[in-house]
Amino acid sequence: MKGFLRRRLLWGSLLVAATIAVASVYAAWEGATTRSAYLSGWLLFGLMVVLTGYNWLKKIPYLPLGRSEVWLEFHLYAGVFTGVLFLLHVRLRWPTGWFELVLTLLYAIVMFSGVLGIIISRGWPKRLTARGGEVPFDRIPLVSRQLREQAEALALSSVAEAKSATIAEFYTRRLHDFFAGPRHFLSHLFEIRLPLNALLHDLGDLNRFLNEQERKVADQLVALVRQKDGLDYQRALQLTLRLWLFVHIPVTYSLMLWAVAHIVLVYGFSAGAR
Amino acid sequence: MDTVHFVIDKPERWDSSFDPEMTDADVSRLMEIRPFSEMDAGKFSKRTPLRGILKNDARIRRFKNGEIIVRAGDYGSSAFLVLSGHARVVLNPGLPASLLGRRKSQRKGLFEIVAQLWTNPRDPEVRTAAELEQDSGVKVGLKQRGVFLQDVPRILDEHKTATMSPGDFFGEIAALSRSARTATIFAVGDETELLEVRWQGLRDLLRFDDHLRHHIDRIYRERTLATHLREIPIFKRLNDEQLKRVIEQTQFGTYGDYDWSGDYKRLAKEGTRSPEKETTIAQEGDYPNGVVLIRSGFARLSEKFGHGHRTLNYLSAGCEFGLREIAHNWRQRADSVPFQQTLRVIGYTHVIVVPTPVMEEVVLPTVPEHELPLRFTSEELAGAEQSDTRRKLDAGAKIGPELMEFMTENRFFNGTSTMVIDMERCTRCDDCVRACATTNEGNPRFLRHGHTSGRIMVANSCMHCADPVCLIGCPTGAIHRGQSGGEVVVNQATCIGCSICSNNCPYDAIRMVEIREEDGAFMVDKDMKPIVKATKCDLCSDQIGGPACERSCPHGALKRMDMNNLDAFARWLNR
Repeated sequence: MKGFLRRRLLWGSLLVAATIAVASVYAAWEGATTRSAYLSGWLLFGLMVVLTGYNWLKKIPYLPLGRSEVWLEFHLYAGVFTGVLFLLHVRLRWPTGWFELVLTLLYAIVMFSGVLGIIISRGWPKRLTARGGEVPFDRIPLVSRQLREQAEALALSSVAEAKSATIAEFYTRRLHDFFAGPRHFLSHLFEIRLPLNALLHDLGDLNRFLNEQERKVADQLVALVRQKDGLDYQRALQLTLRLWLFVHIPVTYSLMLWAVAHIVLVYGFSAGAR
Repeated sequence: MDTVHFVIDKPERWDSSFDPEMTDADVSRLMEIRPFSEMDAGKFSKRTPLRGILKNDARIRRFKNGEIIVRAGDYGSSAFLVLSGHARVVLNPGLPASLLGRRKSQRKGLFEIVAQLWTNPRDPEVRTAAELEQDSGVKVGLKQRGVFLQDVPRILDEHKTATMSPGDFFGEIAALSRSARTATIFAVGDETELLEVRWQGLRDLLRFDDHLRHHIDRIYRERTLATHLREIPIFKRLNDEQLKRVIEQTQFGTYGDYDWSGDYKRLAKEGTRSPEKETTIAQEGDYPNGVVLIRSGFARLSEKFGHGHRTLNYLSAGCEFGLREIAHNWRQRADSVPFQQTLRVIGYTHVIVVPTPVMEEVVLPTVPEHELPLRFTSEELAGAEQSDTRRKLDAGAKIGPELMEFMTENRFFNGTSTMVIDMERCTRCDDCVRACATTNEGNPRFLRHGHTSGRIMVANSCMHCADPVCLIGCPTGAIHRGQSGGEVVVNQATCIGCSICSNNCPYDAIRMVEIREEDGAFMVDKDMKPIVKATKCDLCSDQIGGPACERSCPHGALKRMDMNNLDAFARWLNR
C-alpha cells in the first residue's frame, strides 16, 4: 500500500473511531445529565485552540515538535471532527438569536475555507506543473511588464517597417488592455480558454489585411499573447493558493474571540457551571 | 568603413601558472634535487617539458613553526616535497577538531533553541563575537592565509608524530585519488621549505617519468589497495599470496578533470552536455579486459538506444563494472560476451582495473558458484527479456528515463542531501524558506527555485556532495565536512571570504555575504573593506530536529534525498 493511501486510511480510521466514541458517550450522558452541552462545548473549544495553534507552530520551526506534514494531517482530520462536535453541541438545531447565528456563520466560513483550501492545495499544484512555464509569484509583475514592453515595441515597429498602422490599431483596440495587467482571473481558475481563443481568433482574422512582413510581426504577437496568458494563469492559481489563507486565518481568530465571548455569556447567564 | 578586429591569444595551459614568482633559478635548483635530478627530461613532451612543469605547476612554499601544511579531512589537489627543514605528521589518533580550526560540532540545547524566539537579530547576516572567535589552539593568519598550531611543544608531547625530512614526498594519494587527507602535517621550525606540485603537474610527472610513478604506485599499492580490495566481497576469500598477485597486476586509471566544476559550468551554459562527449572508460561491445572498480568520483552507465545512448545508472565509489561479463566468459568460454554497457566518466573518476587474466586465474576460482553473477541467457543477449540483475542495474526504469537523464546531466547524483521538491504537491507557500530563515537567524540558506524535470524540482541548495568540489583549495580549511553526519559546513571564524568554494561549487549553492555586527553595522577590515564570509545550507546541523526546510513542509513535498540511493528516491516518487 502506498504511503499517502496508508496514512489517509489511518487518519480516516481514527476520525471514525473518535466520532463513534464521542457520539456514544454523548448519547449516554444526554439522558444522565443536562450538562452534556458543556462537555461538547469545551471539547470543541479545546480542539479549536489546538487547531489554531498550527499557525503558531509554523512560526517556530526550530522547535523539535515533529513534521509540519503530520500536524497538517492532524489539523485536517481534527478539523472535520470539530464538525461532528459542533453538530452534537448545537443538537442539529438552527441557531437562535443573532449571537449564535454569527458564531455559526464564522464556524461555517472557517470550515468551508479550510475545505476549499485543501482542495486548492491538492489540485492547483498539479495544474501549475502540468501547464509549465512557471514564474515565481513575486517575479510575475516584472515578467508581465517585460512582455508588455515587447508587445508595444513590436506594434510600433510594424508602423515604420510596413508603413501601415493595421497592427498598431489592432494593438490599441484589442491587445493594449490585455497586456496592461492581469486578466481573465476566473477563466484561468476554471480552465476556460474562451478569452484566449477569442483573442487568437481576432489575431488570425487580422492576417487577411497584412503583408508578409506584418504577418511575421503578428506571429510574434501571437507568441507573446500566449506567454502573457500563461503568466496570467500562473498568477491566478498562485494567488488563490495564497489568498484562501487570508480568509481562513483571520476568520479563525474572529471565531475564537466570538467563542470566548460565548463561553463568558453561557457562564454569566446560566445557573453557573457547578 | 574599417572594422576593428580584436585579436587575442589562444588560451594555453600555462597561461595561469601556479606561482608567477617561480623563477628559472628556482627551477634549476629543483633540477638538482631528487627525484627531479633522476628524471630523464627527454621523456617529457615538447608541450609539457619537465622544466615547464616545475616552473608552472609547482611552487616553493615556506612554512613557519606550527603552520599546518595539510590537515586531516581536507580535500587537497596538490602533493608536497620537503626541500629543507622538517615537518611532522601526526599519527593516529589525530589532533582534535578544535586544534585544526574546525567548527566545534555541537547541537543547540533545548533552551538555546527556544531562546531563538527572542535572540534572532533583526538585521541579516549578523555574526556575534563568539561566532568569529577562533579556538585558542589555532590561529588564522589572514595575510599568509595559513593556519597555525599555537602550542607545538605540547602537541609534540601529547601526540605521536613522525618526522618528515628533505626528500620526503607526501599528499600525493589524496591529490590523485581525490580523497580526504588522512593525516595532519605541520611545519617544525621557521625554515621549513616545501615544493608544492599541483594536480595537473603531478599527473604529467607521473605520465612521463616512470621513477615517480613507480614511487607513488608503490606507496598506493602498499598503503591503500590491499585494504580496499579486502572490503570487496569478491576478493575477500583471497589469501595473502593471492592478494599480492592481484595487487601486483592491478592498474590505476584517472579520468576527467580534477576540478571538473569549471568545465561543467561552461558546458551547462553552452548547453552542449551529452554522453557522447564524455571520456569512455569501457565501451559496449568491446572485449572485457578487466573488472573496473570505481575508487572515487562518478561514472555513467549507459547502453545504445536508437542513435544515442540511454543512461541506465551512475556508478559511484565502491561500484564495479564488467564482473558479470568476465565471470560469464570464464564459465562459458565457447560462448563469450563483450561488455554489455558503456562506462563513461562524469567529471572526474578514479578507477582500479583488475585485468581479466588475473580475475580468471586468481580471483574467480576462490568464489563459490552461488556468489558469482548470473550468466547471460541467450534471450537476454538478444534483448528479448530482462534479467533481475539487469533490472536492478536499470535505475532509469525505477525513477523514469527522463528523470534519470536529468539527474545525470545536471550532476545531481553528487548530492547526499539534495533538496528535491515534488511540484505536484508543493503549494508554493514558501514555508520551507521561512523556516530556513527563522532557523538561521533570519537568513534563508537556499532558493526555492532550480532545475525542473516533470514534477521534480531540484532546489538551489547545498547538496552536501559525495564529491565536494567546494572543499578543494580552501586556504584555511574553513569549509569542511562535519564530524557527525558528513555535512559540509563553513567555520565562520576561519573563513577569510576568498570565494574559492563559491566559485568551485558547480551548483551555485554557496553565497558570499557581507557580515554585520550585532548593532547592524557592516563589519569592515583595517582598510574599511567589508568582511565577507561564505554561507550555505548546513543541514541545520546545530538543531535537534534536523533540516527545518523538510520538517516545515506541510504537504510533504520537500525531501532531502541521497541521490545514490535511487531505490529510496523511487519509493518517495511513488509514495
